[in-house]
Amino acid sequence: MPRALVLFAHPCPESFSAALHSTVVETLRRKGWEVDDCDLNAEGFSPVLTEADRRAYHDEPDNISPVQGYVERLRAADAMVMVFPVWNFGYPAILKGFLDRVFLPGVSFKLVEGKVKPNLTHIRKLAAVTTYGGTRMRAFMAGDPPRKCVTRAVWHVCRPDKMRYLALYDMNRADDAKRAGFLSRVADEMKAF
Amino acid sequence: MRALVVYCHPVAGSFNAAVRDVVTEGLHQAGVEFRLCDLYPRGFQPALTEAELTGYLDEPQNRAPVQQDVEDLLWCDTLIFVYPTWWYGLPAMLKGWLDRVMVQGVAFLMPDGANKDIRRGLTHITRLGVFTTCGASWILTQLMGAPGKRTLTRGLRSILAARCRTVFMAHYLMDSSTPASRSAHLERVRAKLARFIG
Repeated sequence: MPRALVLFAHPCPESFSAALHSTVVETLRRKGWEVDDCDLNAEGFSPVLTEADRRAYHDEPDNISPVQGYVERLRAADAMVMVFPVWNFGYPAILKGFLDRVFLPGVSFKLVEGKVKPNLTHIRKLAAVTTYGGTRMRAFMAGDPPRKCVTRAVWHVCRPDKMRYLALYDMNRADDAKRAGFLSRVADEMKAF
Repeated sequence: MRALVVYCHPVAGSFNAAVRDVVTEGLHQAGVEFRLCDLYPRGFQPALTEAELTGYLDEPQNRAPVQQDVEDLLWCDTLIFVYPTWWYGLPAMLKGWLDRVMVQGVAFLMPDGANKDIRRGLTHITRLGVFTTCGASWILTQLMGAPGKRTLTRGLRSILAARCRTVFMAHYLMDSSTPASRSAHLERVRAKLARFIG
């Protein structure tokens, strides 16, 4: 059974992000995926790269020991779906910390003669499901950093066959119809994932 | 002029610490009043919690968990960041500082009947300085869309004063840096800062 790692980064269970998260997990399970549902806040993930982590950062394979469990979950994944709200034109800190601490040399990339070589190529499908408070124009004017973080930086180390970046902009003013429309779009995309 | 220097690196003797020292010395020599916000020794907790998010829109109670940071932000007219770029972006701790401190009513104003989008809240901040280091090369960083730089120099800048003077400097390819490249970079930081605050 193909395995999907779902990374979820919103602390409130009643949030729209949580609804998106449930839709993703349930739809994937119904379609026969084995879902590893990683709710970073609920799991109490610490996003802070410590001094010891930083000093051992390039020491493969010892660098993985503080986050061994997360590294194994990442390595077991055939697909990865990131569900998060955009805050301040970026990932929530807890999700950024997952990259800082778990996407290590020897895990997500190899440094070969100073060049980054992708090392998560077992992840064949990559998706992000996200919401922006501001309008799409506002994000565009800032260069839409979170979109680039996923579709370029994470893409670069996975080189997936399929990638989807599903975003609802202007959440601050979204009504029920707009939210429901986005939920059903996410469900459709996950069915076809 | 009043500068808030936000510094984020876990290792005391790092190159970023040297950059920070060049910045604070430069400010001191120019007679600029400054405050240093050093996130790691504070053990700053970067994850916005459920309680904080639930009270995110309640002014002014939403300032309470980060009272000192909000005061510093309201006090300064110049905001300077010194940090390493990790995964083309801000370290989680610094990203979390933005997430937790940039609260509604301080950093920005929510849309209302008359305004379709978020409005600027930090219009008293007229200078933004960003000094960072990148493991990646300049060209790879550009190919990735330089999300870290843009989060600050475009994203954050959009809630500062309209014609905020902005400076960005990075030492690229840090992993293959040399004593010569590092000291040359510190000199460039010194010169750039002098023009920036001049």
